[in-house]
Amino acid sequence: MIERLRRINPLTALATAVLLVCATYVVPAPIGPALTLGIGVVLSSLTGVGRRVAILAIAVALPTWLFLAVMNAVVAPEGDTIRVAGIAVAPAALVPAAWIALRLGAAVAALGWVVMMTPPLRLVHALAQRGLPAWSQYLLAASLAAVPEARRRAREVLDAQRCRGLAVGGGPLGRLRAAIPLAGPLMVSLVTDAERHAIALDARAFEPRGKRTSLVPVPDPKGERILRTALWALTVALVVWGFVR
Amino acid sequence: MSTIALALIPRAVALNLAIGAIVAALKLPVYLDSIGTILVAALAGPVAGILTGVTSNLVLGMLSSPIFIAFIPVTVVIGTVAGVASRVGGFRSVPRALASGLVIGLLAGATSVPIVLALFGGVTAGGTGIITIALRALELPLESAAFIASMAVDVLDKMLSCAIVAAVLVRLPRRIGARFGLPQAAA
Repeated sequence: MIERLRRINPLTALATAVLLVCATYVVPAPIGPALTLGIGVVLSSLTGVGRRVAILAIAVALPTWLFLAVMNAVVAPEGDTIRVAGIAVAPAALVPAAWIALRLGAAVAALGWVVMMTPPLRLVHALAQRGLPAWSQYLLAASLAAVPEARRRAREVLDAQRCRGLAVGGGPLGRLRAAIPLAGPLMVSLVTDAERHAIALDARAFEPRGKRTSLVPVPDPKGERILRTALWALTVALVVWGFVR
Repeated sequence: MSTIALALIPRAVALNLAIGAIVAALKLPVYLDSIGTILVAALAGPVAGILTGVTSNLVLGMLSSPIFIAFIPVTVVIGTVAGVASRVGGFRSVPRALASGLVIGLLAGATSVPIVLALFGGVTAGGTGIITIALRALELPLESAAFIASMAVDVLDKMLSCAIVAAVLVRLPRRIGARFGLPQAAA
């Protein structure tokens, strides 16, 4: 069962996550978000990404709660206040802040489960199998591939300009002025690079509107397709219920 | 869409993600994370700009945090307005680019406020959030504080991004500029 869950089609995982995110925001707090957070954490743990997903969810939820708590309970207290170390604090404002943070954490855990468990290119391939046009498949796959190269080039430009004596310190205006010699070469090189890739695409007779065949098909059993349809139907029903209730 | 525009979008997406290294090195009080979107919109028009913005946030959602997916509407606005600004010569000089950045920043800020209010309760954990809290300390209503904070950050960010894009456009090799129909390339 767990092994099967680990090999789940990325689109089924995505449909599950979208349903969980909708439930997080439609079902009243704390039951809705607590329940979806629990499901997200269990799914993540079963598929071996529990720790990473928990860190991601906490990294979003905790600072949000702290900022909301400072703003609504201390800086601009909402409701009755009590004095804590000489500071007026509105304890009642901490609860709504906690529900907002809980909702964020639950949504991030649900989507984070898909993102952490699925290699991005596997998701792109699964989407392509379901009819994603070649141009959008290219955009996603090429973007994912281009990120490490661009980060490397950004560091190279930074180092090269520093070697040439570019001052990156000083006041705000001086630092703003230094932005162009740093960002400029990086941007020009990326545009030049795009021309080279465009020539390569043309040479290979790239057809943007066509459907591409994957060399490594992502398994998509009939049972999962039925489950996915049910998940999407449930999501739509949940959203409709959220609007009419 | 032309093949070169299609090939440029992934590089611009990567630029949006990679520019963080430069921003961190310069300790700038801005993000510049839409600079690739604005560059593509200025070169290839609004549709390419929108695609760059949407793809950027999807990729950021996959690689960094799913929270970025919620801000896709903001990137659509940035791509659209930058593309339209480019069509009316909004990147022909740095002063014009600053004006374009002002409009893009105002509209992007206005788009992000409802998202921040609905998802984050009005405050995000970061520089914008600190400004919001400071404005709340001055007894401004939450909506107004979030709006002003978002505007302040977005306007500065987009004005600087547009100025850099305008400066880069004149430095592009003429051959490439001509492929995108840049006026300075034809001169």
